Amino acid sequence: MYYVAKVDSNKCSEYKCNMCTLYCPEANTLMYDEKNKTSWVDEDRCKGCAICVYVCSDLLDRNCIEMAMVTTEG
Amino acid sequence: MSLNYMVPVSKFKRYLPKDYVELVDYGPFGKEFSEVGTKNMGKYKELVEEHPMCSGCWMAYYIKIIFASLPNPEHTVTIGTAGCGRLAISQAAVPFIYGNYGDQNAMASGITRAFRLRFPDQQKDVITIAGDGGMMDIGFSMTMHAWFRGEKFTTIMLDNEVYGNTGGQESGMSIKGAVLKMSPKGKNFNKMPAMQLAITAGCVYVVKMSPTNINKAAKAIRRAIFAARELGPTFIHAYTSCNIEYSIPTPDVFKDAQEMAKGRFAFEEFMTDEAKDLFTVVEAKKKKEVS
Repeated sequence: MYYVAKVDSNKCSEYKCNMCTLYCPEANTLMYDEKNKTSWVDEDRCKGCAICVYVCSDLLDRNCIEMAMVTTEG
Repeated sequence: MSLNYMVPVSKFKRYLPKDYVELVDYGPFGKEFSEVGTKNMGKYKELVEEHPMCSGCWMAYYIKIIFASLPNPEHTVTIGTAGCGRLAISQAAVPFIYGNYGDQNAMASGITRAFRLRFPDQQKDVITIAGDGGMMDIGFSMTMHAWFRGEKFTTIMLDNEVYGNTGGQESGMSIKGAVLKMSPKGKNFNKMPAMQLAITAGCVYVVKMSPTNINKAAKAIRRAIFAARELGPTFIHAYTSCNIEYSIPTPDVFKDAQEMAKGRFAFEEFMTDEAKDLFTVVEAKKKKEVS
């Protein structure tokens, strides 16, 4: 069981801001899909610090990312 | 030396580790800073790989920025020492050398000189990246003497104001009165003035900052590398909080860095007149002309 960031890609693609990816402390974890104009999370690498949630919700007031538990059952 | 030596033949590609192949296909080697660099993080394969640093570590974030800012990653060598930082620095796709307990600047002096003799036609960048303990306590004499000798390489201090990976002892860079796990009565002495020491010792470009503005952070790192190539030692003093020892909840780590950027770690930049002239020339050129 891991605590990871989940991006709501429908909401995220409205803004196309790419700000959260610039402030993730882990390299190659919070990525930006240029085709679909949305951020996405490599869940195997995410350490669950929630800095991206601070950037998206507190600084930008866009609320596209939330933290969620993932389990082996999916 | 050509970059082609690292490109695998197509039939052999499927047997190589995925991370290596991704680095060849989508990595920053041989590309312009405007194509990759800090602004495009998340859109290309970054140099830093998975590492064991803590969740929400601002030092890991700054290390990521350092590697994304390198003007010439294929011709760079990093040198570190004991401390948290080397856990991530050693996991990047840039050669890393481990300096034994504070030796990093002494080693970098020799390596820089050797590179200049061995590769007179190719500029090789040497960067030492170490924590406040490695740079200002244990490695203090090596750091200072490298600056006094005017060795041409970049020194970056990741200042978390504590000995993070040994359980929270006070360091020379902790502020006066800081109560830590291994200094329960609070520190009795003042924080060392690292920036003033660097200027006095002869560094040609010195910056003190809290990395919150990504462009500003990248510009300072690139300037420090460019000035070190031509003029002499350069120094960056960056605030990289330890969220474990200072008990900062991980979602508030960035907020803490922003507060520091307004307070003790407000952006300060020192440069000599020669460095100023150099930056006006270098920043007008494109990467291929510079490297």
